[in-house]
Amino acid sequence: MGWEGERMLGKRSLAQVLDDFRTAERWKGNLSHWRTIEPRSAQTVPFPPALDGRITDALTARGIPSLYTHQAKAFDHVRGGRNIVAVTPTASGKSLCYHLPILQTLSEDPQARSLYLFPTKALAQDQKTELHDLIRATGLSVKSETYDGDTPSAVRQLVRQAGHIVITNPDMLHSAILPHHTKWVSFFEHLRFVVIDELHTYRGVFGSHVANVIRRLKRICAFYGSHPQFICTSATIANPQELAQHLTEEQMVLIDQSGAPTGRKHFVFYNPPVVNEQLNIRRSATLEARDIASTFLANGIQTIIFARSRVRVEIILTYLQELIRRRLGPRSIRGYRGGYLPSERREIERGLRQGDILGVVSTNALELGVDIGQLQACVVTGYPGSIASTWQQAGRAGRRQGESVVVLVGSSTPMDQYVMQHPEYFFDRSPESARINPDNLIILVDHLKCAAYELPFAQGDLFGHAQVQEILEYLTDEQVLHHVRGKWFWMNDSFPAHNISLRSASQENVVIVDISERGQERVLGEMDRFSSLTLLHEEAIYLHQGAQFQVEKLDYEEKKAYVREVQVDYYTDANLAVQLKVLTEDESRAQDETRWAFGEVSVHAMATIFKKIKFETHENIGSGPIHLPEEELHTSAAWISFSEPLLASLGPEDVERGLIGLAHVLQHVAPLFVMCDPADLHVVPQRKAVHSGEPTIFLYDRYPGGVGLSDQVFREMHTLLVQAETLIAACPCEAGCPACIGVSGAGDKALAASLARLAQGGPRHVA
Amino acid sequence: MSLKDKLTRMRTHMSLEQTERRDELEVERASQTVASVAHTDPTALSAHDRQWEALGAQPYAFAGESVFVRERIYPLTHQHGHYRFGQLYEAIARWQDAGIAHPLSADGLATEDLLFFDTETTGLQGGVGNAIFLLGTTRVTQDGVVMRQHFLPSPDAETALYHSFARDLAPITHLVTYNGKSFDWPQVRTRHTLLRGAVPALPALGHFDLLHGARRLWREDLESCRLSLIEPEKLGVSREHDVPGYMAPILYFDYLHSGDPSAIAGVLTHNEIDVLSLITLYIHLSTLLLGAQPGTYEEHFAIARWYEALGDDEAAAARYDSIAQSTHALRQRATQALGMIAKRRRDWRRAIVALEACAADVEHPVSIDVYVELAKLYEHQIKDYDKAMHYAKAALAACSERSRLTRRSPRFDLHAHTRRIERLARRLTEKM
Repeated sequence: MGWEGERMLGKRSLAQVLDDFRTAERWKGNLSHWRTIEPRSAQTVPFPPALDGRITDALTARGIPSLYTHQAKAFDHVRGGRNIVAVTPTASGKSLCYHLPILQTLSEDPQARSLYLFPTKALAQDQKTELHDLIRATGLSVKSETYDGDTPSAVRQLVRQAGHIVITNPDMLHSAILPHHTKWVSFFEHLRFVVIDELHTYRGVFGSHVANVIRRLKRICAFYGSHPQFICTSATIANPQELAQHLTEEQMVLIDQSGAPTGRKHFVFYNPPVVNEQLNIRRSATLEARDIASTFLANGIQTIIFARSRVRVEIILTYLQELIRRRLGPRSIRGYRGGYLPSERREIERGLRQGDILGVVSTNALELGVDIGQLQACVVTGYPGSIASTWQQAGRAGRRQGESVVVLVGSSTPMDQYVMQHPEYFFDRSPESARINPDNLIILVDHLKCAAYELPFAQGDLFGHAQVQEILEYLTDEQVLHHVRGKWFWMNDSFPAHNISLRSASQENVVIVDISERGQERVLGEMDRFSSLTLLHEEAIYLHQGAQFQVEKLDYEEKKAYVREVQVDYYTDANLAVQLKVLTEDESRAQDETRWAFGEVSVHAMATIFKKIKFETHENIGSGPIHLPEEELHTSAAWISFSEPLLASLGPEDVERGLIGLAHVLQHVAPLFVMCDPADLHVVPQRKAVHSGEPTIFLYDRYPGGVGLSDQVFREMHTLLVQAETLIAACPCEAGCPACIGVSGAGDKALAASLARLAQGGPRHVA
Repeated sequence: MSLKDKLTRMRTHMSLEQTERRDELEVERASQTVASVAHTDPTALSAHDRQWEALGAQPYAFAGESVFVRERIYPLTHQHGHYRFGQLYEAIARWQDAGIAHPLSADGLATEDLLFFDTETTGLQGGVGNAIFLLGTTRVTQDGVVMRQHFLPSPDAETALYHSFARDLAPITHLVTYNGKSFDWPQVRTRHTLLRGAVPALPALGHFDLLHGARRLWREDLESCRLSLIEPEKLGVSREHDVPGYMAPILYFDYLHSGDPSAIAGVLTHNEIDVLSLITLYIHLSTLLLGAQPGTYEEHFAIARWYEALGDDEAAAARYDSIAQSTHALRQRATQALGMIAKRRRDWRRAIVALEACAADVEHPVSIDVYVELAKLYEHQIKDYDKAMHYAKAALAACSERSRLTRRSPRFDLHAHTRRIERLARRLTEKM
């Protein structure tokens, strides 16, 4: 059946469907916000005269007769010897920002070498294919190849010696290339460009590690006499230039004006209707998203649906495929999750472009820049957790011409409800900043060891911008290095890079092993030891990508948790007895009778008991003790202290309840403002803090030594508290619900709200 | 808070390079603290120097750096294991006469062209940070066996170390090592790359890596092919109070702390025996390969297979023959191999005689390949389809039996056999 046939069957255009949304009873009451973003036309310039004719011919042959302004700017700056960071939306031809100057350089100097870094192997594979096509079209004799765990050893040697463009990931650079740099002599001698694609993914612990890997890379380049330029590309974040400069320790030129055209785009916030007034529980976002998506699909509108977990992908997919079979004829709907092979991905991309595939249901695996072309509609199930990643998912819909729509469906979580009620937070606030802390002591020491393994340090040497003499002395005391005549030499029989993972939060991780199928045991993931206390104790229900697993055994000595897949209607919640000691107070600000401070803390935590809590009713349906040793964590924290007299009128119990309620809200709001996973930032209320005896709420970095999260909490404390207060006030529940201060007693909402106000330096009671 | 304090506080979060072996050494190290203090005392320094002298080591200085070179000369009559060192001359002479192309062949070489070579390093894995602290060599000359060790007393003296080592490389054309192709020599290269320009370029050398030969001959016989296991089992070399190789890095780190040569003396001895045993091993392998000594049937068979893999059917057949004539358990496999060699030479009759002898050998289970080869020979060369059918059916039966025993899916193999049987059935009917 062709398109005409479909239209005759009563299919409507996107504009007509959108009209329906505005007017039909089923939808209109749930539209909490509707914004239309106006179209923008293409801004192009002719090919720069310096660009080799073979390259311009190849572009012209592919239907690219000119460059977008951002591509041309990137070309000029890179040719001028500057480092750049280009921030461009999805499908704006960002890869030409680095391909063009690099191919141009290679057309002039066949000795030149380039290193492309992608955060994952899959992206590297994708880019390799695209680059190969482009190179073939130019007829240049340029060799480009991926170098990762899948590269056969025979090919590896060839890549090392003759690869003009080596495509890899930071992990491979860290553990396989830098520690063997003597096998890469000609590569490092002639390294001219380092491309860092998907820059925004290098944040937090991972980014802090990668910044140190780049310090090591630059050190080795200097040894071989090269000084490569850096070309970065990033999705929209608040601070791309700062992040790029922090990551590479080089000055960067920012290119953030995209010349690519965009069509009109509708952005709709959809909040599912409340089904339980008392507990403020809304209809499932998954089901609502499914219904919205089927409306688009039934009208032949190409749609991508994002779900938060694999299980939800499956639920939505099954339903939609059923729909397709009944009503839509031969065009298909496909799932798309992490772990797909490049060939499958190619097939899906092709299917979407040619129209054989009508819909894709995806986890956020697609958030990273895999090119699936541009669709007409995008349905996002649940707020993806940050402004930046929401824009990235939303970027999947949007055509260069014509209209597109993005529907963000809110779930019941506090974060989602906050966003639903505050569209201005999403539209007016610049997206989150990406933070890294390359000088986190633990990360720095790890990479200093790797660096010393790669080349000895001399007296006065810096490591990037870091002063490291004291650490070198420390490592000498620890008999890892040997100091002689002003030089530090690696003097240990280990291979340090093998003990250091760039991705994990701590080196001493618990490995989670799925033993559901006999003989098919597989590793599900890793978790740091500290978090394992409360999430991987025996009988805990561990959630992985939406599926439930019960922990059968936690072998704390061997750092292994054995889990089995189950289907139960409860989750587990463990009590953690936390003792928190302030070690230093580095900064503080007073607001009337409350104080905000930032400094270093030590956290002693011991898991005590766990409860089984029923999903729907939050009933406690069982409990048990946890027998695990105490864990200690040294990290940085921000905290709010209330002066004792100020709270004297409240009474100790009320203070305690108020602190717990406010802490619950902050635990959900704070990650919104510092762009992190909620598990990376812990919030602990204390009625009498050990260091001051005052009621205090601590927000601390989960990673030893801190990665800059609590630092930013301290700086944004005011905004954070205002938002917390607003959220409590705006929540329609009666006496607290999971979406605000947690489930608690009467009056607690008011208590938490007044503490939030007091914390800002305001009065206790609303006037 | 000072950085040192912070580092100490964070200690539990750090992944420090601790090993159990190190803990064992803690006690020892504590006692060496005295020596370490004494290290700065000039009279004690000369005590260390005297110890080096007693070990037979002399300083070698280059560009302000200094290393120790330890030298010992052994007479050619010295017996190390089953051989005297002088027998290397006989082994080399035999290669000249044999005219056989073989990876271990010294054809065209003089005994003095070979340098037996082994290193001790600060780590056990390859990688840039793994430094070599001891380069041991032996060279057999008319004046005796020169054993020389170049020792790095401090990690900042590598330039002198490799200048000293270069003197050993100058007169030779080939290295003889044990796993040196994938470990020792690449490490030497790595260190030369790190010392760019400061050391002479490495010459291009031939390389006999005896590990490959040892694996070919004794893989099935020994639980591992470590040199320390080959020595007592195959070479008649025994070590007493030997320091195991994996301890070398730890002992070297202790030496760096104490400056006391006795910390490292055991490693020097270990390395010395290594480079001496390499001579014995090369003599032994050459002797076996050239048939100058009978060896066991297993060795004989392994050598035959090695020649066959090298494409030297003649040398292989001679050895298979002697096994096939024996009553040893390997005689059937040797006979089969002879059959295959005959087939490659298009000597169908001899091939069939050999393979049928295999098939008729009731003492051993017959390989399916034997039936398949016979079926092919009868079908394509002799055109005796009845016989071919007989063997094709035998192959099918053996194949089903095997898959029943191993519970492996036989579909693919079975399919090939069935197809042959069907084809033969057609030919038989056509003939009738």
